[in-house]
Amino acid sequence: MAIAKAERLMNLALCLLGTRRPLSKRELRESIEAYLEAGSDDSFNRMFERDKDDLRELGLVIETVENLDGEVGYLARRDSNRLPPITLDAEEAAALGLAAKVWQQARLAGAASGALQKLRAAGLPEDVDPYESHGALEPHIPVHEAAFEPLMLACRDRRPVVFDYRKATAVRPETRHVEPWALECWRGHWYLAGWDRDRGAERVFRLSRITGKVRARAGRYTAEVPDVVTVRETVAGWAGEITDRSALIRLRSGAGYPLRAKAVSVRELGGGWDELEIPYGHGLDAWLVEFGPDVVVVEPAELRADVVDRLRAVAKG
Amino acid sequence: MAGKPARPTNAIDQTRRMLSLVTYLRERPGARVGDVARAFGITEDELISDLDVLPLCGTSFRGGDLLDIDTDGDRIWWHNPDDVAEPLRIAADEATALLVAARAVSTLPGLREGDRQALLRATAKVEAASGEAAGASSRLSVTFESEGGVFADVDRAISERRRLWIRYYSPSRDELSEREIDPIRLVSVGHTYVEAWCRRSEARRTFRLDRVAEIRILDEPSAPPEVELRDLSEGLVQPAAEDPEVVVEVGPGGRWVAEYYPHDSADELPDGGLRITLRTPDPTSLRRLALRLGGDGRIVSPEDLADSARSAAREALAAYDAPDGLEGVEDRPYEGREQGL
Repeated sequence: MAIAKAERLMNLALCLLGTRRPLSKRELRESIEAYLEAGSDDSFNRMFERDKDDLRELGLVIETVENLDGEVGYLARRDSNRLPPITLDAEEAAALGLAAKVWQQARLAGAASGALQKLRAAGLPEDVDPYESHGALEPHIPVHEAAFEPLMLACRDRRPVVFDYRKATAVRPETRHVEPWALECWRGHWYLAGWDRDRGAERVFRLSRITGKVRARAGRYTAEVPDVVTVRETVAGWAGEITDRSALIRLRSGAGYPLRAKAVSVRELGGGWDELEIPYGHGLDAWLVEFGPDVVVVEPAELRADVVDRLRAVAKG
Repeated sequence: MAGKPARPTNAIDQTRRMLSLVTYLRERPGARVGDVARAFGITEDELISDLDVLPLCGTSFRGGDLLDIDTDGDRIWWHNPDDVAEPLRIAADEATALLVAARAVSTLPGLREGDRQALLRATAKVEAASGEAAGASSRLSVTFESEGGVFADVDRAISERRRLWIRYYSPSRDELSEREIDPIRLVSVGHTYVEAWCRRSEARRTFRLDRVAEIRILDEPSAPPEVELRDLSEGLVQPAAEDPEVVVEVGPGGRWVAEYYPHDSADELPDGGLRITLRTPDPTSLRRLALRLGGDGRIVSPEDLADSARSAAREALAAYDAPDGLEGVEDRPYEGREQGL
């Protein structure tokens, strides 16, 4: 039976951490059973390179050193791999325990528990059991979008990407070349901010509208990455939450609680109707139509016309 | 444990865990299997499978330098501990995962101040200990939405085991109703919800905090029946197989429906739109959707749902066509564009 990958990685990690001098590939191959069984030099080399990358992924700093004979050796120095001293009290430990389980994305869930386990090994207190103490509060970070992981890696490594993106109202997706800056999750949906190379401007993309694969591209960023990337403001604008205008509507008494909750002022008109002044942002027309005959727009005229158009479309449907 | 999705074993995660495990075991000779599994957030079976691998690992399989770690199923012993097992520094992805989550939770409106402070202190310490690896964590961020006041009351009611009275808005019926609920837990997934036993419907219900119009903590004790907590990772709305089916056809401008409504299928249409099939216990609640879609889509079935949306739209239009139907606004000039249907 083939030797399990975790066993092979563990052996490589222990060899590299345990040695005081760089070990050559040949030496490593002789010390690790799985490599001896690897067969050809080619398949060993491929396996070894992948394993080194995997160990670096989990945080191991592996140095490559050339010795006097020109032979390449590898080692993971203790001092560059040791966790600096960190002391956390029981409350802090419990708080981190709660944070470590919020990710619902396999890679980040694994990484978060990995971090907690390293801290645990370094003496993180266990008096308070982090997995039970906050039983009544469960924050989850949902990640349903397939584009999330490749974009997270691209943001991390600052790598340009290409993907097909379908704008909210577009019939067909369009190919976009983007230098990804940051990802943000708002109201359960993920957004990417970055430099759109074709448009020569900053853009925000909704991950659920990316169709097909995200492909990484070679090369550097051409635009400077801003110190602060604001995704939420842009998205809140789309959601109609940023507004400097207001509208006047009539609302049937007792109906439309969310409109009342947002209202700047409410005036009773009698006859079963109230008049409300509400903020007028993007998308208000579609929202008002949801209330059917319980809402009548008074002004502005532009909003009245939009609502009437929408109602006509439904009436004809 | 509830809410903790089982993950398939991944060689990288397992290796990372075994490296920490070795360090951990060195400090705790004779550690108990149950305690170690809990400390590592894994099942005892997962721990045992790690303990099966560890004795095959070492600095050389030839020299006999293998880890002599064994267990009798209750306690774990490492007979030849060495200094290879030092706590390892935190990797970039690990720092990102932990820090982004900790920052997100610490901004949850309504979180107990003591917990928030503990999180902020812990975040600062982990940041410092992670060094450069913490840098990339600024490239991800998450905001949880919550109503701080409502959250704090629910949190208090849960910890004091007391019943709550709420006035709650139901969007599907556009009405407020009063109910008494026995809160079970608070769940944040973008928005924050309280899962509770609803005394009015005698059933488990989930309430979104921003739809709670009023809340009071009652003196009566909360006594929710023992219910099995659902795994909410797949979403709070989980339609049942026996729920009625609704078919909606949308144009390109209505594709968002597939992003917001859990559905059985979404088939591409030639015009760039979608034909979406979904299930809901209460199809009349989708009248709002039909109205909202306007020209961007329509309900294909059930027919009576499509009819009710059409007649609601006609009724609404009547108010614009007949100014005298609007007490109090006759003096306002109407703009053109509403020339009847």
